[in-house]
Amino acid sequence: MALINRDSKLSDIILNDPLTITVLDRFGISLGVGDKSVDDACREHGIDVKFFTAILNTFINENYFPQEALAQFSVAEIVDYLSKTNSYYEMYVLPNIERHFSFLIAKAPSHNNNLVIMKQFFDEMKNELLQRIDDDRNRWFPNVCSNEKSHTAIANAEPDEEATDSIEDKIDDLINMLVMHLKGDYDHNLGMAVVAAVFSLKKDIKQNNRIRDRILKPISHHRHLTQCNV
Amino acid sequence: MYSPRVIISTHNTLEALGMSKLLREAFDIDAHIVDNDFFADTISSAEPDFFFIDQETLVTNLTFFLPRKAKTVVLTSNDKSIDDMTTVNITAHEHDIVNTLNPVLEAHDYHENASNTLSARETEVLRLIASGKINKEIAHDLNISINTVLSHRKNITTKLGIKSVSGLSFYAMMNGIV
Repeated sequence: MALINRDSKLSDIILNDPLTITVLDRFGISLGVGDKSVDDACREHGIDVKFFTAILNTFINENYFPQEALAQFSVAEIVDYLSKTNSYYEMYVLPNIERHFSFLIAKAPSHNNNLVIMKQFFDEMKNELLQRIDDDRNRWFPNVCSNEKSHTAIANAEPDEEATDSIEDKIDDLINMLVMHLKGDYDHNLGMAVVAAVFSLKKDIKQNNRIRDRILKPISHHRHLTQCNV
Repeated sequence: MYSPRVIISTHNTLEALGMSKLLREAFDIDAHIVDNDFFADTISSAEPDFFFIDQETLVTNLTFFLPRKAKTVVLTSNDKSIDDMTTVNITAHEHDIVNTLNPVLEAHDYHENASNTLSARETEVLRLIASGKINKEIAHDLNISINTVLSHRKNITTKLGIKSVSGLSFYAMMNGIV
């Protein structure tokens, strides 16, 4: 799809890539968009059009990454968006995958224990993601937003993800396990539902990590921080 | 799926184009057509799985092709065989050409590369990874170098599609390796 601009219709954006609904939701826009354009919606919800289009284009096009443009936006805006993304994972995505997984296990014959083991792997990834969200909320985001702290204090507050396998890798592994190594009896519809749910998380986390690692982390390193009130 | 690397080099442009089209349609192989004059330079970098050449190319590069008989296919316009290399009569009917090539392309051992079953050694390395050992310990336990451990790990990841340590551990549990 061509890049989204202020004249693009919201309905076209969603029809082209239904997963964008979840991104729009973080800006307070829900289904029933009529024939509103990006410009209309942003005015109605008090959203910065440039920020909105940058985020959507980053989400839709894997190769699009307006690093310089994104770095112009206020820390408050970026942190607000990332916080909403975190809540979306916590409140909706993870429980959704978990629900499908539990149904899948409940319907499978008891001797099929490879599903139970995969679920344990999912739980491990889930707990790690929840831990990261908790850390963002209580430590990293408040630190980035506060210009009182010294640079060292802020640098120390950054999440340390280098030491272990990344969450992204684990999600990839989980998908590959389901796609390549699932065996025994199981409900095929529920199996597909689990794969689809994990896959949408993978796509979301990937673009979310680009914003975290390439925008917010450099800012928390280098820039004199502006006041923000999240 | 792994597809063999094929290089076509002939003096007849349409012959090369026709061969490439047939390989794509019948075998799903994207062959690479190489200009005859630059043949020797191009080949040195990465060794292909097959060479499709005409007789002239064979004669001018004989020392190159003789040790590579098993992977060389010579395009001719008659049915004469050449020094136990595979020959394809380009004037034959299309399905005869396909029938001639089929066993040659099938027999090639590139199929093994696509397999996702672990070798005994790889299974052993996976078991040690799953038991929480780091590369250095695995190298010591199996009495192999760290580089060999790394190469086993790379193969395991390619075959299973799993790269994280905990992913590998859960895979090992699922398959009774630990």
